Amino acid sequence: MTSEWLTPPTRTELIENLVSGVDRYNPSNVSILEDYLYHQIRSEEYDCLANLAILKLYQFNPDLYNPDVVINILIKALTAAPLPDFNLCISLLDERPINAQLDEPDPLPTVLPVLKELHNLLLRCRFPAFWEAYHSSRLENLRDNYTVEVAGFENAIRAVAIRAVRATFTRIGSERLGSYLNLSGQDLTAYIEKLGWTVDSSTGVVTVPPNPENQIEATVVQESVKLPQLTKIIAHSVAKA
Amino acid sequence: MASQRLAIWNAEEDLEEDVDINLALDAYGQEMQYDDSQIPQPQIDESTLIAVQQHMAQQAAFQQIPDAVKSFIVHFHQAVLDNNLAEITVAYESGWNKFTEKYYARTEWPEAELIAPLVNDDPIFLILYRELYYRHVYSRLQPNIDDRFHSYENSCELFNYLLNSDGPVQLELPEQWLWDIIDEFIYQYQVFCTWRSKVTTKTQDELMMLAEGGPVWSSYSVLNVLYSLMQKSKINEYIIATREGKSPEEIAEIVGEYGQRPLYRMLGYFSIIGLLRVHVHLGDFTLALKVMENVELNQKSPFTRVTACHVATYYYVGFCYIMLRRYPDAIRSFVTILNFIMRMRQYHTRSYQYDQINKTADRMYALFAICSALSPSRMDDNIANIAKERYGEQYAKMSRGGPEALPAFEELFTYACPKFITANPPPYEDPAAISALLEAANDPESPAQPSPQTDSTRRHLDLFLADVAAQLQVPTLRSFLKLYTSLGAKKLANFLDADEEELVQEMMVLKQASRSISRVAGSEGTSLLEGQVVTTSDLSFVIDENMVHIAESTVGRRYAGWFIKNTERAQKILDDLKNMPLPVSTKVHGGVSNATPASEPATQNRQTRSTGPKVAWGGVKVAA
Repeated sequence: MTSEWLTPPTRTELIENLVSGVDRYNPSNVSILEDYLYHQIRSEEYDCLANLAILKLYQFNPDLYNPDVVINILIKALTAAPLPDFNLCISLLDERPINAQLDEPDPLPTVLPVLKELHNLLLRCRFPAFWEAYHSSRLENLRDNYTVEVAGFENAIRAVAIRAVRATFTRIGSERLGSYLNLSGQDLTAYIEKLGWTVDSSTGVVTVPPNPENQIEATVVQESVKLPQLTKIIAHSVAKA
Repeated sequence: MASQRLAIWNAEEDLEEDVDINLALDAYGQEMQYDDSQIPQPQIDESTLIAVQQHMAQQAAFQQIPDAVKSFIVHFHQAVLDNNLAEITVAYESGWNKFTEKYYARTEWPEAELIAPLVNDDPIFLILYRELYYRHVYSRLQPNIDDRFHSYENSCELFNYLLNSDGPVQLELPEQWLWDIIDEFIYQYQVFCTWRSKVTTKTQDELMMLAEGGPVWSSYSVLNVLYSLMQKSKINEYIIATREGKSPEEIAEIVGEYGQRPLYRMLGYFSIIGLLRVHVHLGDFTLALKVMENVELNQKSPFTRVTACHVATYYYVGFCYIMLRRYPDAIRSFVTILNFIMRMRQYHTRSYQYDQINKTADRMYALFAICSALSPSRMDDNIANIAKERYGEQYAKMSRGGPEALPAFEELFTYACPKFITANPPPYEDPAAISALLEAANDPESPAQPSPQTDSTRRHLDLFLADVAAQLQVPTLRSFLKLYTSLGAKKLANFLDADEEELVQEMMVLKQASRSISRVAGSEGTSLLEGQVVTTSDLSFVIDENMVHIAESTVGRRYAGWFIKNTERAQKILDDLKNMPLPVSTKVHGGVSNATPASEPATQNRQTRSTGPKVAWGGVKVAA
């Protein structure tokens, strides 16, 4: 489960060496990692550890700091919820003094609270509220300048919702599911079909295929007595016999 | 700025070159090496100079040193010269502390320059002496900026000597001391960063020194030392080779001339643990666990031979797991080490580290309480009881959830979390920016500028609390679900006075909180970051449209432990009875009591058995 998170199959050898070796501290490698981030953004890939390596370089070398890269990393990390990726990224963002070196005003201070809010909604499984906030005019800047560039962003968020639904439901009303996915009508039907889930056309109820997490069973855990537990007693009685 | 820093990759290349040059020198002849002193020359020049200038004053100061301390230093020096580990250990662990209590409880030890004549100006011993000198200043007194800078220089000299001499040095030091060297190095780095981040309390002189400080205690230089020690000792290669069961000869070949020496090997080990700690201070919890990739977390691992190191390792690993939301792994980590500390308690009560270990243990009980509130599980009863004893009130609030829980989480987290530091200093090299910061701080009108230090801790605390806040409803939901086997979502929403849709979403949170990534059995030898999703709760449920179905797994009664315990007890009573001397009755003939096995231990079972009936008979007779 985590091995894919640790080493995504799409990670190249060059990146692997940077992530796992001391070369990760070399500021001149930052552009390789940044290019890799933009590659992830274009091709719907995700590599948390490589992105953390960028933030690490920014942490040690404030002059490398590039707010757009940071925002893109955080957007990618959003789609990993409920894994802790988003928080792990934030942890590396040191408080920075007012930075006069940037040509333009730093967009991070305004975008960060918005991203935190979105992350919080995802973490609390408030998917309808997430979509409402995301599509509000307040977040126009985020959509137009950032997420529009992130290929498959909305679908990646839907995948977060699907992970939660799959674990919790055996059947779910299509309206409710639609509100989690921000889809309706034909789009919703197509999406459900792609998942391989079935819809009862008369009631509109979607059946979630059985998986280990939506199967429940009351069990009684019986103790199993292992021989080693008894060796002392048996040995004792044998010795006395 | 960037050019001043020691860059790891550059330094590494330099190191390689150094080694090559030395090898080349060897090839050219021995006499070349004669001049190539291992002693950092400039430092000696400087100290000699100072010694001359202050000769008179020093003479007087030298007189002041108690004779006992003088002879202790001479003795200590001799032990180091002889590489006599037993003697060094005694001097290090008991002598130093004894004289500290007696003469230097509130003042510095004599400066290294002062005692230099006692040790024939032995530069290596003086470096080691300064290491102890500054450690004493940091732990007992208030280090001033000179102490902070000089302790850094001294550490650099020590590591330079170890890493850049011609080949491995012959010095040997006790493992405890080696750990303390690494541990203290990181500690001083951490307190320096903390101290450095407080701009407002600096004097003019300090501001100037900080502006020109350059790489002093920079994160890069600290990482550089730790990585160099790891690479020099080839510690990761050593661990892998050992795990693969290679023969001692093969291992010796793999680790090379440095890695074969215990001093370098242990420094390599401790540097890995040191890196774990540095990364936690810097808030990089994944990298912290990643550097531990090859270290086996078990009681047989070499790093466990130094208790302080053992305890620190589990504390930082456990904390990382908390920040990765892997509460079961964190719990496992704390339980292991807390049990160990309990067992070791009797041996450590008199150790000078006992206080420190106890403090860390106390914080781990607090973290344990946090984890078990977030992820209730059948945990170690012993540890759980102690944690509840110490943090009962907070534990009750945290596990009940709701609005009262947050302050309890905050209180324990703030108490038990490691120190967090900002990697970069305030812009001391930029006087304008600094005076702007100072003005902002002095101006009562402006919003108070919180120091970056409290900010770092605050930042991690806020992240953690946001995680916790997301699942504050979980305990309440669980307690309701426990009462039913199936229940309409609407009905449940009514109980909780909540909107049905909100409630359904909250149920997904409950599901989320009932599983976690965790290391699984059989994953020994894999990275600490590996793991699989496991269910952490006894209560499982599923929603079928609007109907919640609940199933609880319960633990059947356990009999084995009870029976085993009582069988053992019965066996013991029986044995004791058999071995008990017969009450000597004056009426009984002496021969009878001789025949009983009373005075002999029951070494021969057959004999015991054969005398069994006699005992019973004798007992009956006496009773009658």
